[in-house]
Amino acid sequence: MSFLEPLYLLLAGAAAVPLLLHLLRRRISLRVEFPAARYILRAERENSRKLKLKNWLLMLLRILAVLLIALAAARPVGRLIGSGHAPTALAIVLDNSLSTSTIIDGAPLFRRLRAAALLAARQATPSDRVWLVTADGRVVGGSSSAVADAIQRLEPIAGAGDLPAALTRAVGLVRGAGLPARHVAVATDGQATSWRRATPVVDVGVSALVPTGALPANHAVIVAEARPTRWTPRGSVVARTLGADSATYRIGIGGTGTAARTLARGTAVADGEILVRAAPPERGWVAGSVELEPDELRGDDVRYFAVWIGAAPAVSVDATVGPFVRTAVDALVQSDRLRLGADAAIAPADALTRLPALIVAPADPVRVGAANRALERLNVPWRFGAAKRETGTVREPASVTSKLLDGSTVTMRYPLTRIGDAPADTLARVGTEPWAVGGDRYVIIASPLDPAATDLPVRAGFLPWLAEAASQRLAGDAGVLLLASPGARLRAPAGVQTMDDASGQAVPIASGEIIAPDRAGVYFLRRAGAKAGAVVVNSEPDESTLARLPAATFRARFDGRDVSVTADGERWARDAYTGSARRPLSTPLLILAALVLVAEAMISRGSGDRSSRAAAKAA
Amino acid sequence: MESSSAVRADLFDPASLASLGHVEIIARWVVDGFLTGLHRSPRKGFSVEFAEYRAYQPGDDLRYIDWKIAARSNKWVVKQFEEETNLRATIILDVSRSMAWSSDPTRLTKSAYAEQLVAALSLLLIRQRDAVGFIRYDDSLRTVIPPKARTAQWRRILHALEEDGAGLASHASAALLQAARLIRRPGMVVLISDLLVDTAGVAEAIRLLRAVGHDVTVLHIMDPAERDLTLGGEAVFADPESGLEVSATVADVRSAYRETVEEAIGEWRESLQSTGAGYEVFTTDVPFGVPLRKAFAARQRLP
Repeated sequence: MSFLEPLYLLLAGAAAVPLLLHLLRRRISLRVEFPAARYILRAERENSRKLKLKNWLLMLLRILAVLLIALAAARPVGRLIGSGHAPTALAIVLDNSLSTSTIIDGAPLFRRLRAAALLAARQATPSDRVWLVTADGRVVGGSSSAVADAIQRLEPIAGAGDLPAALTRAVGLVRGAGLPARHVAVATDGQATSWRRATPVVDVGVSALVPTGALPANHAVIVAEARPTRWTPRGSVVARTLGADSATYRIGIGGTGTAARTLARGTAVADGEILVRAAPPERGWVAGSVELEPDELRGDDVRYFAVWIGAAPAVSVDATVGPFVRTAVDALVQSDRLRLGADAAIAPADALTRLPALIVAPADPVRVGAANRALERLNVPWRFGAAKRETGTVREPASVTSKLLDGSTVTMRYPLTRIGDAPADTLARVGTEPWAVGGDRYVIIASPLDPAATDLPVRAGFLPWLAEAASQRLAGDAGVLLLASPGARLRAPAGVQTMDDASGQAVPIASGEIIAPDRAGVYFLRRAGAKAGAVVVNSEPDESTLARLPAATFRARFDGRDVSVTADGERWARDAYTGSARRPLSTPLLILAALVLVAEAMISRGSGDRSSRAAAKAA
Repeated sequence: MESSSAVRADLFDPASLASLGHVEIIARWVVDGFLTGLHRSPRKGFSVEFAEYRAYQPGDDLRYIDWKIAARSNKWVVKQFEEETNLRATIILDVSRSMAWSSDPTRLTKSAYAEQLVAALSLLLIRQRDAVGFIRYDDSLRTVIPPKARTAQWRRILHALEEDGAGLASHASAALLQAARLIRRPGMVVLISDLLVDTAGVAEAIRLLRAVGHDVTVLHIMDPAERDLTLGGEAVFADPESGLEVSATVADVRSAYRETVEEAIGEWRESLQSTGAGYEVFTTDVPFGVPLRKAFAARQRLP
């Protein structure tokens, strides 16, 4: 039995009133003249035992009546004896998120949830309607056996899913069923990160199964990525682990699982970051993974990444671009991060003849006109304005993580003006005006790369920025890297026709939308049969934090009146129907209170009536 | 006849009736109404010696109408005789403080009711030539009027009713014994009291009266609230006479109280009937005709 207005239970304190009245009844201040007082005394003496018994009985009945009224005011909801199992619209929300695959007490938690869900589904009668709603949003309805089969086949996904959304869906299903009893049975691990918000369940009864058991100390890879996403051919793998202690890791590349070549091994400290630099021989789009030793939650012990690996871009440096750029390019060539060649140019705008190019503002303001004509000739949608000699600081957008330009000082610049609506990125600003912009096969810097105009050339970030700009922006279109959680819906990049499945078979992409597979991994996108990018599917990092919500907080995640939480699977399965048979008990309690009051009235007056009749008879 | 259709005051609500006038007037109304109800004059001792004529009164026995005079003068007169009866009756009235109580201001106190009853009963007896005596008592004998059959005796009794009383005790046995001394020959004794005294003393005194040949009738007068405990709430109930105080919740003890009162009445009835005395109990809300009839019935049993 649960209460919809539990605060009214405080009214039960009023039960003390009859008790106090009973105990204090002898403290009477009213004095009445009554000549026949001797008969009252005699009546009390002769009936003292009977009177005491009657008074106690009356007191108990009055207390009982007060308690029943207080209970009724608290609006209890419970099952009436013999009320049976009414035709029920039941939606079973089965949590099949990654965290439910955790092994607790020797078996995956999901098995216990699934067994309870099966038990609930099999108790359905033909008059019931049953649905299965999973954390990843799938809905299976139909007969009891069909739903039971779907539950039997269900396996945990590789991600978190969206349990509040599943609950909302389930509530909508049972409310639309048109049956008198409506119930949603939720089987979940109660993970705090899965139940972040309260979900309205309106007038639908909800029972939740949250098994108990000590949670294991989970180790997980919560970040694994190649930096940059294009290696030329050098790059690094950055990973971050979760765990209370150190863990052994392995970084593989060139495939997934055992097919991958080991790139590095080591021991990650607790909650530590791993950084491994590499220049692997593979070329093109390559899959990789970061793995830890297996633990109770196997699904987050491996995390995948994808990287495009190719030769360093070949650049030519215009003689008028300045000594700092030439020196920087020489250094990058010596470290194999750039090559000298004709793939891309680095030149002042007024000397620009082709794209791709890293375009630098002219050193002499009188060359602005020539620079803008060169930009116009090459269809670059930006123009230089009149030179501004004022000091400003370069700021990169918050989305940029490396921040190699950020903080540079600018003393002279040409404000950039965009022409038309061709796509372009603003890479950095000075004040509110663009200072570094990028587009299709070009990058423009609004100041000459000379310390007289900006201190960027003498800052530590200049070389890595130059290398990244050349390799990521000027080296041509290698494809697209899409990161997704299992089941996520993605927009397919232009020109991509197929995506490899888990076995490597190309599957056509329909209607320009990609649905991320349920299993974690790297799925290559193909354009005309050639790899044109990759979809990397990994679980959400939060899914590795297994901590449950406290019971009261978890209960509050269901914004409804009739919500119960249990750790007993059998009881939960039973409550899926008996819970729907739970009815408001206020009316029966009020009837019972009325009967008690009638009994009280009869007892307090019954014998009086008898004596009245006897007196009348005697008269 | 005109009188037979008149309203009978003996069947009126006693409180309403008492509010209409002085005790003397009320007593006359009650007795007249009572006699009308009998349909036959109770004056049966009209056989000894003719004394005079008097105007016919409702209730007079038609046998004693002088039909010749009626035929001659169109006036109804009845013949009266000397020495109609030799009964000597004594009415004993309890005027202790407990009698001066009423549960409801609109209702007569037991004393007021009893005084009306005494006035009516004594008038009734005197009208049929019985000698009537009167004793008032509380913790002592307040009034002692020896029995006489004269009309002035009734006024003496009425005057005595206005005297003080409301003492803190009720010595019924002493009053009864005093009555025994007043009435030398066997006669009639009527005790009117609320009987809030011990049974044994009263019964013993009555036994003595009965032993010398007196016919004794006890009229037990009670307030309706004393009979049924119709009061409400809870209070300390105090006996103004004895000072006894009892705390009680009426709802809790009402039924037991009623049983107790019935037991007490039963005890009185058993105890008095064992002495050969008559016993009647009534409440102050019954019309005066009821106790008057009971008392008069006792008179009718006597010669």
